[in-house]
Amino acid sequence: MAMNLTRRNFLKTASIAAASVPLSRVAARAESGVVKTPQVAPGSFKNTKTVVGGVCEMCFWRCQLVGKVRDGRLLKLEGNPKSIDNGVSLCARGNGGVAMLYDPDRLKYPLKNVGKRGEPKWERISWDEALDICGKKLKEIVDKHGAKSLAIFPHGSTARYPMDFFERTVGTPNVSEPSFFQCRGVRDMAYITTLEIAPDEEVDMANTKVIFLVGSHLGENIHVSHMKKYLKGLERGAKLVVLDPRFSAAASKAHVWVPIRPGTDTAMLLAIMNYLIENEKYAVDFVEEHGEGFEEFAEGIKEWTLERAAAECDVPVAQIKQVADLLAENMPNVAIHPGRHVTWYGNDFQRERALACLTGLLGAVGVQGGLVKPKGPKGIKRINWPKAETAGEGDLRRMQDVHHFHPPGCPTELIREAAISGDPYPIKGCVIWGQNMIQTIPGQDRTIKMLEQMDFVLCTDIMPTDITMYADILLPDCSYLEKYDFIKTGTQWDFSDEHQQYIAPRMALVEPGFERKDSVWIVNEIAKRMGYGDKIPVASQEEMMAQSLDGLGLTLDKIREEGGIHIQPGEDPYGNNDDLLVHFFSEEMDDYDYPAIPTYIPVESPPAGFMRLLYGRTPLHTFNRSINNPWLIHEAPINPVWVNDKVAVRLGLKHGDTVRLVNQDGVESRTTTTVKVTPGIREDAVYLYHGYGTRNKEMTFSVDKGVDDTSLITKITIDPESGAHGMRNNFVKLVKVG
Amino acid sequence: MRYGMVIDIDRCVGCHACVISCKAEWEVPTQYDRNWVHRLGPAQTSHGLSYTYYPGLCNHCETPPCVPVCPVEKVRMTMQDAKTGETKTLEVAATWKDPFNGTVQIDYERCIGCGACRDACPYHARYINTELADENCLGKADKCTYCMPRVAEGLEPACVQTCLARARIFGDLDDPQSEASQYVEKGAVGLTSPAVQIGPNGLYYGSKKADMELLMKSSAPKEMPQVSTRRAALEAMRLAAKKQVNAVGVFGLAGALIAKSLSSGCEEGK
Repeated sequence: MAMNLTRRNFLKTASIAAASVPLSRVAARAESGVVKTPQVAPGSFKNTKTVVGGVCEMCFWRCQLVGKVRDGRLLKLEGNPKSIDNGVSLCARGNGGVAMLYDPDRLKYPLKNVGKRGEPKWERISWDEALDICGKKLKEIVDKHGAKSLAIFPHGSTARYPMDFFERTVGTPNVSEPSFFQCRGVRDMAYITTLEIAPDEEVDMANTKVIFLVGSHLGENIHVSHMKKYLKGLERGAKLVVLDPRFSAAASKAHVWVPIRPGTDTAMLLAIMNYLIENEKYAVDFVEEHGEGFEEFAEGIKEWTLERAAAECDVPVAQIKQVADLLAENMPNVAIHPGRHVTWYGNDFQRERALACLTGLLGAVGVQGGLVKPKGPKGIKRINWPKAETAGEGDLRRMQDVHHFHPPGCPTELIREAAISGDPYPIKGCVIWGQNMIQTIPGQDRTIKMLEQMDFVLCTDIMPTDITMYADILLPDCSYLEKYDFIKTGTQWDFSDEHQQYIAPRMALVEPGFERKDSVWIVNEIAKRMGYGDKIPVASQEEMMAQSLDGLGLTLDKIREEGGIHIQPGEDPYGNNDDLLVHFFSEEMDDYDYPAIPTYIPVESPPAGFMRLLYGRTPLHTFNRSINNPWLIHEAPINPVWVNDKVAVRLGLKHGDTVRLVNQDGVESRTTTTVKVTPGIREDAVYLYHGYGTRNKEMTFSVDKGVDDTSLITKITIDPESGAHGMRNNFVKLVKVG
Repeated sequence: MRYGMVIDIDRCVGCHACVISCKAEWEVPTQYDRNWVHRLGPAQTSHGLSYTYYPGLCNHCETPPCVPVCPVEKVRMTMQDAKTGETKTLEVAATWKDPFNGTVQIDYERCIGCGACRDACPYHARYINTELADENCLGKADKCTYCMPRVAEGLEPACVQTCLARARIFGDLDDPQSEASQYVEKGAVGLTSPAVQIGPNGLYYGSKKADMELLMKSSAPKEMPQVSTRRAALEAMRLAAKKQVNAVGVFGLAGALIAKSLSSGCEEGK
């Protein structure tokens, strides 16, 4: 079906949001003497005001923006020319922020569900009524069952203030952020355990000799300054090694593509390390100086010969050796990328430990091209809700004495399990802020069960999503273009450039549309109604920003005058290894009876006739909040399923055929997609872009488009160290439709 | 001066930012595209696997087939070189090739939206924005202008500015010092084929043979489209007649008949 958003309709909705503003019209005189007025867009630079201080949130990278505004209507977003991060560039999603702002499907008013959860009927209510209900219901639950009976699922900068309120002041321990438990928490904890460094993605790719990616599909996964580092490195001659079962965007630029058997990365990493040690091709002095438990480690991975790994990984011996030698020849200036979304197989802590050990073994920490933490600005004050004495009581993880290397918060699965079973205590209230749990957490039926047994569910978001269908009260949040809520800081991305730091507070580029409110206001109003009025730390979002900047002698007005970004001299990030320890053998892990040296734990193979379901990013979407974006969904309307060409012949599938996916538990995809036949994927796997197949009909541009990969992840695996979900242990077959 | 755009597919990461920034800059309706990114592959080539991109846009060709097919009555138009101030007067229909900078432009006022230029382009670079249809036209032809209004203000084209990979090099192909010309030296080529040799000023550079093979094979047009100029001419006549009727202000039986007979003629012209 053709995109039904015509320009006129788009403008119509746009003008509702931003007061009725006619497009500038160019009047022309026809020969007849009749004046006609064709609409010719004059360009975003004509008669517009440039509003500074935008910080993007189409993803979490937070590029710095300026807005081109004409008569109160935002026409275009551009990278802030003052930025030393993204510069004037933005990705497609960043550019698409305009279409998000004026998306007619966005939440506009407080809504009350007068239907059923999952089959909502929305009634528009006043803010007062909505807040009264939230305050009363949440207070009732806390009074009856205690603070721990609330579960909080926050996401993004908009959710930090509410998360702090419920976790610290109300005091529930049941807070779970998917950005940790479904994404990067495992990585950070594994690196902290190994190198005592939270790595983020801070590899100095711009100045490296080798970029080593395990599954990271840079190019399909786009963060502007990260991509700049990567491309600069390639331009300067870095060699690129990519381990991926798929010929990804990164693999297509690689010097060595290793089409590894899914789930076996750790085996290959161990074999590389064993080879480097046996041949003394590692950073001997560095390991001597900084290594802990190296002997046990070297001894423990001895079994991982190249041959054994080759068989396990389905990769030639020569290729593993080639990769190992390439790393050795270029150490310590090698960028072992820690990855981002790393919750794959439920054994991911061990893989991330292996990556951290490999980084240590090559001495690739704090040196040019290695793992280098930038030295960003200090002194920004974090505004916090006061912590109640009882905060944290009833921590499910502690009670069960599991997942000792968990990221901050509580593993999502523990909360969900407790809520469904009522054991060890009831969880009856749920606050979901800016995230769509249906499409981030595997086991959708269990998430729904959890929600169904709640006494009250509050969702706050900018968009309707699959999870908002389960809300009792649904509140309209301001988007990142309509509010003040986060201070982005950092340094110049290329460490060989002049060292500089930046401070970029998010400022509203336009007034909030309709009855949207920012999260500071919303939470304060709920807090008052729950009896915590005296604990409120700041009266408004502007005050929160002002206090955060206070210690630096900066104000929003000053930064606005400076072009929306404050730049100051920076520091050399290299060469700070004095206190560095590399825990090749982790005593801490040993104490808790986890494998104390990186250990390969095999995963189940696909049953006959099935292929492993892999998923990843398209550069056009991040979260649910981008999937309904009219411009972005027009560019990538569905997520075709990648199938190996030989497999397609065997299955009688042709490029473009329509299929349904069925998983090992007999769960069928609710919608269909088309087949993409390609030699660029292994025979034992298929691949989908994540985040399609929206079921909420209120998302009129994206509903039912493509297939929801998360709906097919019904077999749940849990990473024992961290408690995070493994999400690539499900298998599918393709059923031709029509 | 001859403006051109080189796209370095070694650098391009296929992020589609060029497409979305153009949509915002020129308020292009969602369903139309002045530029595009086609994701190519992964596919096997004679040089191995390739997974690359075709970021396309109007090629502002040397012999643009979209220009001569325009049926709109020609008018005399005086054009000025932005640099030297030199002027030239040409007789042009509603679309023409600029004699000073080589870009192909459209007069949105006089365009009747007949679609002949759209049909004539082997690169599918033009569309008819039917939302702008009124009593005098069926819509307006539109396409990439190389952002000439931005360039006139000293700005880069929107797609060039936003490109994080610096994969788009816009410049004067007549100036051997320009970065774009250096790319031509390095081997940047247009998407041409034996049957399609119209001098595209959009050029592509890739150091990997596999990528260039896939790009050329999948995206270089194989034949020139056939355009019914008769149909376009009839459409122009019909609209002109209708306009006259409107102008006289007597949209009576006679006028309706003239318009009707012209439009049925148009049908036959198919």
